[in-house]
Amino acid sequence: MIDEIVAAPGAGRALLDDYLARYAPGARARGMVLEQVLVAPPVWLDDQSNTLTIRWSLANAGAWWGMRAVSGADSAVAAWWAEVDARAISRRRSFATAPEAIVRLCDV
Amino acid sequence: MFRLTQLVTLADRAARDDLAAALRAVGRRARSLLVEPTLEGSFNGGDLLVHASFNAAGDRAAFELEAQALLGRPATASIDSVSYSSEADGREPGLRDGIYRVLLLSIEPGTDRDTVARFEAELLAMPRHIAAIRNWRLSRVEQAAGARAWTHVWEQEFADAGGLLDAYMLHPYHWAHIDRWFDPECPERIVDARLCHSFCRVDRSAISSGG
Repeated sequence: MIDEIVAAPGAGRALLDDYLARYAPGARARGMVLEQVLVAPPVWLDDQSNTLTIRWSLANAGAWWGMRAVSGADSAVAAWWAEVDARAISRRRSFATAPEAIVRLCDV
Repeated sequence: MFRLTQLVTLADRAARDDLAAALRAVGRRARSLLVEPTLEGSFNGGDLLVHASFNAAGDRAAFELEAQALLGRPATASIDSVSYSSEADGREPGLRDGIYRVLLLSIEPGTDRDTVARFEAELLAMPRHIAAIRNWRLSRVEQAAGARAWTHVWEQEFADAGGLLDAYMLHPYHWAHIDRWFDPECPERIVDARLCHSFCRVDRSAISSGG
């Protein structure tokens, strides 16, 4: 699972700090494993946007639905993303896998 | 075709079988009628699933009135109801002893038409990716009642419960692609979090047999 957030100009560092301090603990409790955090460009910008890319993993599709059931019922999660949207230019969440896993994932 | 689907939550579940029999009796003018107990795993799906189609709008209205009389309080706690008229598609019209599933959903007011059209197109592509979906129909709701102003009805049929609970739910086209329209964590979300997901057994296809 990949979150890609284009922060408002100058807001990247604080947004990432809040993401890790306020969002990540709950995400871990929902079964998500934090794999990687990337910042582009690799310098904090105070008058332009940093793009934050945060990659998580989940054990399988069942774990994904378990996470989804909990987050979907938690109004604090929706409120968090509303706040992020106010502090970001854009964002995207996508779900990806290695190409060699596609056939297995689709064989359900 | 004039269709009606109602998810009936009973105040007293002991009354379920009698009510089901009474509803079948008043559905005599229906071209097809399904009145079945919902199965374990339904979510906001009620205790009884009523799905009927009629040749005339007047017949549907008459059935609604008669059903309303039967389903008034105190027997019934709540009803989620949708009327619609679109046609079905499918790959197994002769399905026997299968599972009928319906999802009621409500798109957020103000969502632009192009986005709604994309959402509908992606939902309708699910059967191309998930072979367990044997018959299907996506409809815009003409009249709705219940917990939300339901805007869409998404119906599918499966050969068995595994087709719904495993193949449909666990396919990545569903959870990794379609669900972003529903997921409050995704910026693309346009669907209200309140959903009715209900399913029941069917002797024969309730979607392809004119239902």
